[in-house]
Amino acid sequence: MTIRVDPENNETRALLDMADFSGQRVLEIGCGNGRLTWRYAGKAELVTAIDPKAEAITRARETLPSELKGRVEFRHIAFEDFCASSEPSSFDSVIFSWSF
Amino acid sequence: MVHALQETQRLLTFNGCLIDIQPLIEAPLIEVYQGNSIVLVEPDPSYDYEEDLRQAEAALTQVIQRGLFGIEARSEFDFLTHGSSAPELRALWEKTGADGNSPEEDPTEQSINEVYRRVEEIRQAAGQGAEVALHERARVIRLAPNFRKEELT
Repeated sequence: MTIRVDPENNETRALLDMADFSGQRVLEIGCGNGRLTWRYAGKAELVTAIDPKAEAITRARETLPSELKGRVEFRHIAFEDFCASSEPSSFDSVIFSWSF
Repeated sequence: MVHALQETQRLLTFNGCLIDIQPLIEAPLIEVYQGNSIVLVEPDPSYDYEEDLRQAEAALTQVIQRGLFGIEARSEFDFLTHGSSAPELRALWEKTGADGNSPEEDPTEQSINEVYRRVEEIRQAAGQGAEVALHERARVIRLAPNFRKEELT
């Protein structure tokens, strides 16, 4: 299996051109297996990445690079449930990642 | 979706931002490459989420018109998923977009599989090293939340 997703890094460039995540608390909605998360999380202070698909979150946790441990939290939770348990003004940036 | 965007505004700091990455409302393309040459370009027959995208765009327009968010920046980019064969790409697509229908029972699935079979034949005919890619066009928008005065005090 030799699937390569966005090896050109077009998505990463577009995202990082749009926002500076340095020192920010970031919420990523629809993180899937963490494919995009790895590409910006190194700049953020803390990333909370959520997805309703358990299999994807398990995969994301398994492949979390060691240098990002403690900085990225993956949660298997629906957005509605996450909101219900979250305080206002908790995040500097929210990313909707292909999550229409 | 409108409710989700309202909730997002609540979660953001007053000077925060929402980044929305979505595919454009157009069918992705299946492309066969041999080196830098494109051998085949064909609309992806499994594209079936146009209505979902339209609803998402409508929700975004609605919250902007209601003054919850303002657009600060927008750009577009090409998003390619490369595979060494068409069945490989098809398997990935089935995994990410599985709707529970059995391919044997669903005539649409049979037709999609037929296109992917044809794409694979063309890829193989293109010679060793030929690849296939799913080419999506996407956009990224940066939105700033607008808060009422009473929400800031």
